Amino acid sequence: MVLVLALGDLHIPHRAADLPPKFKSMLVPGKIQHIICTGNLCIKEVQDYLKTLCPDLHITRGEYDEETRYPETKTLTIGQFKLGLCHGHQVIPWGDLDSLAMLQRQLDVDILVTGHTHQFTAYKHEGGVVINPGSATGAYSSITYDVNPSFVLMDIDGLRVVVYVYELIDGEVKVDKIDFKKTTTTTHSAH
Amino acid sequence: MSREIVEEEAPSLTRVVLPENRSLGALRSVRWRVSLGILPPSPSVDDLRRETADSRRRYAGLRRRLLVDPHVPKDGGSNSPDLVMDNPLSQNPDSTWGRFFRNAELEKMVDKDLSRLYPEHGSYFQALGCQGMLRRILLLWCLRHPECGYRQGMHEVLAPLLYVLHVDVERLSEVRKIHKDHFIDKFDGLSFEENDVAYNFDFKKFLDSMEDEVGSQGNSKKVRSLDELDPEIQTIKLLTDAYGVEGELGVVLSEKFMEHDAYCMFEALMSGARGSVAMADFFAPFPAAESYSGLPPVIEASTALYHLLSIVDSSLHSHLVELGVEPQYFSLRWLRVLFGREFSLNDLLVVWDEILTADNSKLDKVSGNEEISGFKILDSHRGALIVAMAVSMILYVRSSLLATENATTCLQRLLNFPENINLKKLIAKAKSLQVLALDSKISSSLSTFDVAYSRSKSAVSGRNLSSGPISPNTPLSVVADSYWEEKWRVLHKAEEPRQVDSLDKLAPSGKRRWSEKVRLVLSRTESDPSPARAGKYKKGHRSSVRRSLLEDLSQQLGLEEDSEAGDCFDASNIEDRHSVEGQVEGQDDTSIVSICTAEERRDSGSGASVSEESSSIFSDPASSGSITNDHENDTEKSSVASNLSSDGNDDRHQSDLEDSPLPVSSPPEDSLLSYSEENESSGKMVSASKESRHLSGKFQWLLKFGWNNVSREASDKGVSNETAKSANRDSKSNTADSSTASRPTSQRDVVDQNVMGSLKNLGQSMLEHIQVIESVFQQDRVQVGTLDNLSKNNIVGKGQVTAMTALKELRKISNLLSET
Repeated sequence: MVLVLALGDLHIPHRAADLPPKFKSMLVPGKIQHIICTGNLCIKEVQDYLKTLCPDLHITRGEYDEETRYPETKTLTIGQFKLGLCHGHQVIPWGDLDSLAMLQRQLDVDILVTGHTHQFTAYKHEGGVVINPGSATGAYSSITYDVNPSFVLMDIDGLRVVVYVYELIDGEVKVDKIDFKKTTTTTHSAH
Repeated sequence: MSREIVEEEAPSLTRVVLPENRSLGALRSVRWRVSLGILPPSPSVDDLRRETADSRRRYAGLRRRLLVDPHVPKDGGSNSPDLVMDNPLSQNPDSTWGRFFRNAELEKMVDKDLSRLYPEHGSYFQALGCQGMLRRILLLWCLRHPECGYRQGMHEVLAPLLYVLHVDVERLSEVRKIHKDHFIDKFDGLSFEENDVAYNFDFKKFLDSMEDEVGSQGNSKKVRSLDELDPEIQTIKLLTDAYGVEGELGVVLSEKFMEHDAYCMFEALMSGARGSVAMADFFAPFPAAESYSGLPPVIEASTALYHLLSIVDSSLHSHLVELGVEPQYFSLRWLRVLFGREFSLNDLLVVWDEILTADNSKLDKVSGNEEISGFKILDSHRGALIVAMAVSMILYVRSSLLATENATTCLQRLLNFPENINLKKLIAKAKSLQVLALDSKISSSLSTFDVAYSRSKSAVSGRNLSSGPISPNTPLSVVADSYWEEKWRVLHKAEEPRQVDSLDKLAPSGKRRWSEKVRLVLSRTESDPSPARAGKYKKGHRSSVRRSLLEDLSQQLGLEEDSEAGDCFDASNIEDRHSVEGQVEGQDDTSIVSICTAEERRDSGSGASVSEESSSIFSDPASSGSITNDHENDTEKSSVASNLSSDGNDDRHQSDLEDSPLPVSSPPEDSLLSYSEENESSGKMVSASKESRHLSGKFQWLLKFGWNNVSREASDKGVSNETAKSANRDSKSNTADSSTASRPTSQRDVVDQNVMGSLKNLGQSMLEHIQVIESVFQQDRVQVGTLDNLSKNNIVGKGQVTAMTALKELRKISNLLSET
């Protein structure tokens, strides 16, 4: 029962002032065990705020981040799952599944979390999951202005992960759920 | 062999009855379950098994319901859960996730305690399985009783229950091993073919089987049938038959269902099973709904404890009360964990045997008085036994408690109960006390209980007040209260008639009524305060003490003293003062009178600012004029006096008015003036001596505030030493007293409610004055050598010495004052 929060692309303070209040009210310290952040926070204050939610914080570098010492990619193991983290502007074409899958294979992870497109997507691909939590603040992206604030909460329990997607659509928080079970066979499981 | 046994058992299966009830003796868990009401007391095994099964079913259902797994969707996932509500971050309190997180919180709290449970028996209690069971049980109980929540100590109530079950299960397995024939159905060994020698003779096999037979026959030779078994073993056998009523679920001693049984026992113990004593009450911080006394049950029980102790052994009780050892300091732990922490585990089991056998049903109140009264805990045998047990424990360490004068050591002794104890004696004593407790409960009405409680409270608080920051070893403070009580009692008789007079003269006003009340209280009641008046008592006491001491003084000085004198300091009405002042000034008394009036008048001023003012004036060493000296002294004295009184009033007035009567008072102040002229040569010395004189005068004021010993000594010293001045001073004081005596009673108004505050101010101002005087003295000492007048030197020197000692005394007093 490990709760992992995945979010990113906040672009505070340049493109957005803060997280939407409805999101902020949901994010209370004590419930979440890990936070993985795809990048583009952009300032240290956002990192501090995230740290108050959970001490275990992982961030990768986005192109607008003012903290230069974040890594480009990160991998971590939570429970039975290997998670990979990358901002995504390095993967061209941006948001392309196959390219991201290449990155996934490269990092050798079950769950790859990337951002940059500011659009939520979640693919089940080759025995793994590729998740894009979107922009938590709804900041505009290089591609589009029409962005809904969204983030992702993963509930990792043994060999099963439940992905909850929180989206702010028309001022209301909508929640969606995706189940994913990891096959216990080798990492190179072919479908 | 087994066949025979089976045959014999067959008829008994239809109506299984335990051989004798007392054979349950060794099986504590069963016994306890019966006493707690989980199992019926009937001797029929069927009933036992049925009840066992029911209780276990209840627990299993509860467990399934309350231990939340948020992954498993509710209702079998028939309806798709509303994700907005049911997501992990949902703030909705109804969501499964919300419940999950709340349970997690509770679990954390429980774990904190469990990890520290019985480390000395850690091999059992710290084992993962056991801990898991304990955790679940506690969690479920707390979820079931959200109003109680989890309190520290509940795990210690549960642990022995589980232990007892565990012990029984172990016993069972032991018995099983020894008498495995009866417990294990060995059908594989039964083969007609093998036993038929003629059929298939195989020597080897035969020999083997012969051996087996011989071996097992050896064992079973002793026990051929169930009836020959030890009754206890019989019971065990019957209780644990897997094929009895309710099958596996009904096996009374079962390892699989230990958790269920422990939960039932815990629940029964905590909720009291509709009886009188519910352990859960002891954990409740608030008074129970039908509480008679409005106290939390554990406090009530502690008071019951002390009540019983006072009946049984009043000297020990009073000793403990005197030391300020309140019962709940140690009884909280005793009661909440039912002595779990005082005895070793095996001893504890014996104690609990006794307690649990005691009947828990509410006793009918035989007394016709339908009013609710008495201690709730003594409403049942079990409760009475618990209280009696506690008292017998206290009595067990009686000698060491009586030996110590320190509350801390008392508590230490009580909290670290001795290791090797004669448990039988303890329990026997408890039983005898139980009878007593049940009797006394009826006679104890709540009012006495209330008084006793508050009396102990006020006695303790009184003691705390007096000994407060002063270390408890100071004999002075410990003696003080009782001493003043004595004094008061001795003296109040003389006061009474006067008081009655003075009381009549009191003008009605709210405040005055208050003082009236206080004085009435004081004159009529004993030194024991009524519960509601504990605070007032303290203040009133002081004023009465003041009065008494003043009386003392006046008796000493040979004057009839009016008790009003003491009260003038408590007056706070400015208007009256003014009028009185006018009156007094009209009198052609000596200067002292006017001084006194000036002082009295300034009485009504509040402390600090005036004192500062006067002390600043005072500390000005440049003052040479006698008048200024007088003024200083006056102001000093008056500021002292004013500090003595209440702070309810504006002191600005006083400082203004100060000046006006001064010219009036100064002409008549011949004696003082002449005095000062006399000592002109000594300059400061005069002021110093005058200070000392005035100090002694101050002492007289102080006397009125009840520091008889100290100040009287000082004043006596002052009196004896300053012979030349003594007469004058005496007359002064006499006239002062008489003037105060002759003052109209309107002067004596109301005891101000902030007497304590005024006393504090007094202490502070006195300190300031002392410092000032001392500084002056320091300067004076330097100048001693320059004096020509040796005789005056001597006198003055002596006066100085006395003054210094007096100052020291004053300092002590002020310290005391400021600390109260």
